[in-house]
Amino acid sequence: MTLLFATYVLVWPVLTLAVLIVICRAVARDRRIAREEKRELV
Amino acid sequence: MNNESLYQFSTLTVVLLLLAFYGGTYLMTLGIRKKNEDADAFMVSNHRVGFGMGAASMTATWIWAASFYAAATSGYTYGVSGPIHYGLWGALMILFIYPFGRRFRKLAPNAHTLGELIHARHGSSSQLILALSNLLGSVISLMVNFTAAGALVSVLSPLSFQAGVIMAGVGVLFYTLWSGFRASVLTDFAQLVALMAIAIVIIPAVFFAMGGPTELVAGLDNLTPEQANFFSTDAILNQGAPFFVAVLAYAIGNQTISQRLFAVNEDHIKPTFLTATLGYGAIVIGLGMIGLMALTLGVEPLNGDMNNLIPQMVSEYLPPFFIALFFILVIGSLSSTADSDLSALSAIIMADVYGKNIARGKPDPKRMLFIGRLTMIIATVLGIVFASFSLDILVMLVFVGALWGAIVFPVIASCFWNRVTNTAFTTSVIVAMVMFCLARFELVPLTGMSGLFFELLASIGGGVIIGLMVFGFLGRILGILAGIAAMIAMLIFATDFLRDYTVLLASLTAYGTSTLVCVVMSLTSRQERFDFDTITARVGNYDEALDSGDRDTTTPIQTQPAASTGA
Repeated sequence: MTLLFATYVLVWPVLTLAVLIVICRAVARDRRIAREEKRELV
Repeated sequence: MNNESLYQFSTLTVVLLLLAFYGGTYLMTLGIRKKNEDADAFMVSNHRVGFGMGAASMTATWIWAASFYAAATSGYTYGVSGPIHYGLWGALMILFIYPFGRRFRKLAPNAHTLGELIHARHGSSSQLILALSNLLGSVISLMVNFTAAGALVSVLSPLSFQAGVIMAGVGVLFYTLWSGFRASVLTDFAQLVALMAIAIVIIPAVFFAMGGPTELVAGLDNLTPEQANFFSTDAILNQGAPFFVAVLAYAIGNQTISQRLFAVNEDHIKPTFLTATLGYGAIVIGLGMIGLMALTLGVEPLNGDMNNLIPQMVSEYLPPFFIALFFILVIGSLSSTADSDLSALSAIIMADVYGKNIARGKPDPKRMLFIGRLTMIIATVLGIVFASFSLDILVMLVFVGALWGAIVFPVIASCFWNRVTNTAFTTSVIVAMVMFCLARFELVPLTGMSGLFFELLASIGGGVIIGLMVFGFLGRILGILAGIAAMIAMLIFATDFLRDYTVLLASLTAYGTSTLVCVVMSLTSRQERFDFDTITARVGNYDEALDSGDRDTTTPIQTQPAASTGA
């Protein structure tokens, strides 16, 4: 029960971290592509 | 409303925190600032916003201050399943719109608002109904976010509620005014990174400071059987179901979403919205867990105000540095949504009101820009003034969601079914709004035959929601089958029962009524069937059309297909 509830509460920040990493990597790629195409990021 | 029971920052600290936040955000926007912005970029950037920026912007926009407070309130009120019943459905609003978003984009690749597409499909009356609902939503959202800023500043510092509202309003306007949507998207990324990083730290910090999993499990004895039940009927019917009903309505009725659908690189719509779904769900459900923690500890919300739950828990268990982080978390979330609302409002007035109805096909892009910026200033002032009313956030969310519910079927059907007419669209929305109000405010007794009548309409509404969701992902046949099955299930299980849940009944009634009226009127109409190919040609970029020299011709500017934007 303790483990279950610990997982239930802590899985969300872990998932948040995973999404944050995905987004940061994708933005770095967006930036690189924008530079290669000589256009603005937004 | 300054409260001595919560940690108090000095006035100087709060002013410095806000200056650092809004000053830093403003400095970021200087990097993309152009002396002469163009009207299209001001509304939707270059239609080629990448996956990373798009996902960050969508997530940051959808997370507003109310997300944290309402998720924590839900956790505190409904127990174990409470945070899920707020955060999951909010996340699904992003997920379920993207199949329809791809269709919108295919029909009008160069649109700036959903209203432009509907204008090309039906004309002004339908478009203005959609624009009005979008305006209403964004103004309310602006007001709620400024209210949250005022409340936060007033509970954590000696400054007044009004001071917090004004500082947030001016701060957001300051960095959004010149570059519009481009500034909003760029700053959304930075705000989201801060927001996520803080959430990642704060949730476990509060959890372990309160005693960790052992204390949480020990505190489960404080919960009622319903609160301890993960499949609580109470939580489903009072919290989950009204939000589930609003899933499509919020997405369709919100220009901040449409704007990003039209701004993101067309090939990246799916990954962008999937990532935003995950990001939103994780952050909001995670922070909602703080409400559950408060419940298990037997914490009473300060002054009976549920919005105090998270500040209370952070104040109680964490040192001042974390309280400052929490402060930035809330300011970041409300600012990212408020700047998107300002961009959305300006785009609606620029494109839907000025472009399509005042300039009538001959808009001047420079004047459009001026109108867009003026809209932002007026909207900020209105948001600040309305914020002083301090309306109940959850009630407003459900009410506006139901309002949008009336337009969901007519909008989606108009983009897929060539028989929907302008009259059917307009009439169905008006009738649905009347029926919604009758049920929501119990202007007719919800007993006996009238109760049964509304339950029948609501059952149709339930079928429509499920049907549309399945249709979006699995196609027409399965959508119709799922819709019919859901309607039959509702007729069996909801009759003589749903009338006790007025909010849910009224929201479903809005869906059911608008669908029924729209379908019947469209089927009986003898109007010529619509050719969807004409939409692409009718919705174009304003500046490109100007550059191509079409403005002096008699052809309306928006009827010129824009040059490829590479979307």
